[in-house]
Amino acid sequence: MPRAPRGPTLLQAQRWAGTLTSAFAFLACAVSGEMGPAMTALFPLAVAGSAVAGRRFHGRVQWAWTALLAGALLVFGVQVLAGHIDIILAAALFAELLCIHRLWHRRTGRDELLLLLLALLLLCAGAALSAELTFGLAFLGFAVSGTWALALTHLRSAIEEGRGPAGSAALLNSRRVATPALLSGLAALSLFGIAGAALVFFTFPRVTIGGLRRASRPAPVAGLGDRVDLSRRGTIADDPRVALRVRLNPPPRGEPRDLAMHWRARSLSQWTGHGWRSPDGGLIPVMRLPRRPRGGGVPSVLSADIEVVGQFTDGVVFTPEGWPLGVDFRRPGSPRQLYRNVEGDLFYQPVDGGDVRYTVAADLDEPAPGGLRGRGQRYPSWVEADLAVPASLDARVHALAKRLGGGKDPADAAAAIERWLATALRYSRELPGDVADPIADFLFARRAGHCELFSSAMVLMLRSLGIPARNVTGYFGGRRTDAGYYAVRAGDAHSWVEVYFPDAGYVPFDPTPASARGSRQEGIGARMVLLWDSLQQTWRAFVVDYDLVSQTQAMRRIGQILHETGQRLAGRDGATGRLRRVIAAVGTAVAAAAVIAWLRRLRLRARKAQERELTSDQRRAVALWRGARRLLKRAGVEIAVGTTPGELARRVPAAADIARAYAAARWGGAQLAPRVARAALRTLDAGLQVAREHRP
Amino acid sequence: MGRWYTGLTIGIGLAATNTGNNLLFLVLGLLLASIIVSGILSEQSLRGVRVERRLPSVATAGQQALIGLQARNGKRRAPSFSLEIRERGGDVPGHGFLVLLPAGQSAEAAYRFVPQRRGLHRFEQIEVATRAPFGLFEKSRPMDAPAELVVFPRQVPPPPSTARTLARDGERPEDRIGLGLEVHSLRDHRPGEDARSIHWRSSARAGRLIGMDREQERRKRVCVVLDQRPLRGEVLERAVEHAAALVSRELDGGAEVSLALAGAFLPAGSGEAHRHAALRLLALLEEGGDGLAAPEPDGEGSVLQVRE
Repeated sequence: MPRAPRGPTLLQAQRWAGTLTSAFAFLACAVSGEMGPAMTALFPLAVAGSAVAGRRFHGRVQWAWTALLAGALLVFGVQVLAGHIDIILAAALFAELLCIHRLWHRRTGRDELLLLLLALLLLCAGAALSAELTFGLAFLGFAVSGTWALALTHLRSAIEEGRGPAGSAALLNSRRVATPALLSGLAALSLFGIAGAALVFFTFPRVTIGGLRRASRPAPVAGLGDRVDLSRRGTIADDPRVALRVRLNPPPRGEPRDLAMHWRARSLSQWTGHGWRSPDGGLIPVMRLPRRPRGGGVPSVLSADIEVVGQFTDGVVFTPEGWPLGVDFRRPGSPRQLYRNVEGDLFYQPVDGGDVRYTVAADLDEPAPGGLRGRGQRYPSWVEADLAVPASLDARVHALAKRLGGGKDPADAAAAIERWLATALRYSRELPGDVADPIADFLFARRAGHCELFSSAMVLMLRSLGIPARNVTGYFGGRRTDAGYYAVRAGDAHSWVEVYFPDAGYVPFDPTPASARGSRQEGIGARMVLLWDSLQQTWRAFVVDYDLVSQTQAMRRIGQILHETGQRLAGRDGATGRLRRVIAAVGTAVAAAAVIAWLRRLRLRARKAQERELTSDQRRAVALWRGARRLLKRAGVEIAVGTTPGELARRVPAAADIARAYAAARWGGAQLAPRVARAALRTLDAGLQVAREHRP
Repeated sequence: MGRWYTGLTIGIGLAATNTGNNLLFLVLGLLLASIIVSGILSEQSLRGVRVERRLPSVATAGQQALIGLQARNGKRRAPSFSLEIRERGGDVPGHGFLVLLPAGQSAEAAYRFVPQRRGLHRFEQIEVATRAPFGLFEKSRPMDAPAELVVFPRQVPPPPSTARTLARDGERPEDRIGLGLEVHSLRDHRPGEDARSIHWRSSARAGRLIGMDREQERRKRVCVVLDQRPLRGEVLERAVEHAAALVSRELDGGAEVSLALAGAFLPAGSGEAHRHAALRLLALLEEGGDGLAAPEPDGEGSVLQVRE
């Protein structure tokens, strides 16, 4: 006994596909995070509700739905006019409500098509609201489920039209139609659609008008603040989120997996008793960055293409190690302008909360430790803030500093303190909590701490010796990704020290043990974050940022490849122009002949396929019919395509025998001997000949 | 739906061009690719599909007739989906629908139509169309399939009999020996003869076996006469229908029926083939024919003249 098929009926599969399509379209909008929690939660609830109780509400309380939608339209309109939300977001929200309404009122194939139409509008709204990779994933889901939905809805409509309501019920409720094989085939079909979409996407001319472009969404600003508080409690947790994406030119030698590089954000020179803060003062625009003191010779320049994730920028410009020579904001015509504060830290404005990308050129030639000696301790007045020693500083700190660096050259003193801290004390992520003197507690009690304690202790020890120093924050490290950039993660946040030397400027020192700098994130979670970020960057590079320039470059590259291929085909030494023309002409002729032969073959195959299904008598009848038509055409008698044998016999009496024989053999199952057919044609030919001769 | 889809695609294309939003270009790409994929698959679905029409042996005006459409998918691997098979260019509008036509297999669709008139109905082409897989656009392929169907006159009750010459109902004896029921003559019984040929009453009376010969009987013979020359339009149609009704009634009654028309004569006969021949002659009867010879009724048997 054959087993009854399992799985959904055609009607169920079609409805599920429609629901899934609208869900993916909603997801494409929701990932932007702009729809608000209420509207975001509403859709899944409505889908679940429609699945459970949708049928009970078919056709009921229509007035309530109409009132709800009209009210929503009014509210969104007012909000748009008041400037609370933009029109794209309002359209997306309204499309969501329309989608929900349709999900609760699905009866006919037309309702299903309307649902798919609304889902497409929702997807378009999502395209305007979000540019993230999550949109791309929702788009893929939409492409697959949309293919299911469109094909199954068409099948449903065609069955309903072809068989009528009564005749179609059995087939629509059959479990033998929407089989896994059919759904798999449609999914494979959607892959062709996606491939075609990619082809169209990359080749469609990127000529844009540029009107009604939606500005990127401002995001809340976080990241490295202008304060450091050393009295926090708890444990510093690793944060695997990517903060910076860095591409170096030239790339680091050997392209190591982990980069050993300080990414400077800002300096914090004012001691607060429990930490540091940046000095007060405004920002001044920078036209050109100051040159390195006593700079000479050809600098070794590193170009760092830095992209700061919007969540981790508050307007500060990150710079790599070395002396920054210039900052170039990537986009031409970018409104961003470079600024600096009194400490020389670099900033940009305006800060819109989105990702920012710029290129920093830096001179890598830092003075050698030996070259810093002998520069004396005559400091300019503007470094006074970096000499300030808090009155409450524990005397043991000064004693320790004196023991380590007292009487030494500032360069040697700084190196000695740096070395002692890095070797004598232990790195710990445990925060000290609310202690009276976090530095003394770090140096003499716990003898362990995190990078901010190491750098703070060194700064205060150097200042106690009369050497100007300041605390610096930023990131340390960078993990290479498959997308070709180094990812600096939030957990790589770091703190180190800059010491001022006359005629050399601020020189970085890092007292944190080298093995403890940056994060050590190797877990699956951290890897997944990096993988996701890498995918997101690929998505952005190839999809979001694909523009006319990229398209032109791609086309040029393809043209170059074709040209090179042609060159190779023409021979290494190159053919003469005449030979090339001959080759091109012959190639064209061969290609044309191949196309013609292929078309003829197709036609012949189609005719043979048709004739293969006929009996020999039927084939003979068809040949007789064609022969008669040829003779008649030669005699000037045009026979229209749809002419029936009876019509032909009435119109051309001489062809009556042929018409009869053809109809009998082709449709009536009669036999037609070859000689009979030949004789009939001869008779017709003779008859037509006589008619021609006696024509007045 | 194709118009809506195209309009939407153009709209999204304009929006993408206007804003330069690459994700809208991606959506546009999906929509355009769907059109291309749909076109290719529609073409693939139609390729290799052949259709033959199966006409009914009898069709009568005013009565439902079933036309079969035998479709065969000549492709080796690819099935065909959602095929609409419809008449094109002929006198009969009709269409059938096949959800699936597996590769290398045949399936039959059918449609019903009610012919509204008698006579010749021409079929010219069969068009196979599909909107698979998405229902966006229709692609069709016509194929020559000329055929003719003769629709018999509408079935109506026969008119009251206006026989010019009335004969006896039933079989009529002839004056010669045959296999009828009536006794023709008596004679001596021949040994070995069937016992049913013994005339028992005469045998009893004569005291020996007396056999009998039976008369030859001839079936009732009727000639339906219709002179169509002066008739036009509805009058002619009614006359033809009445003639057809008379022919059918007499044939059903067991008579041999001949049909005399202006310019045509069908000799007497019986059986289904004869009925079809007579109805076919009536179905193809046309107006006019003033130059035709008057109907010549069969010399033997009754004559049923159709009058208006």
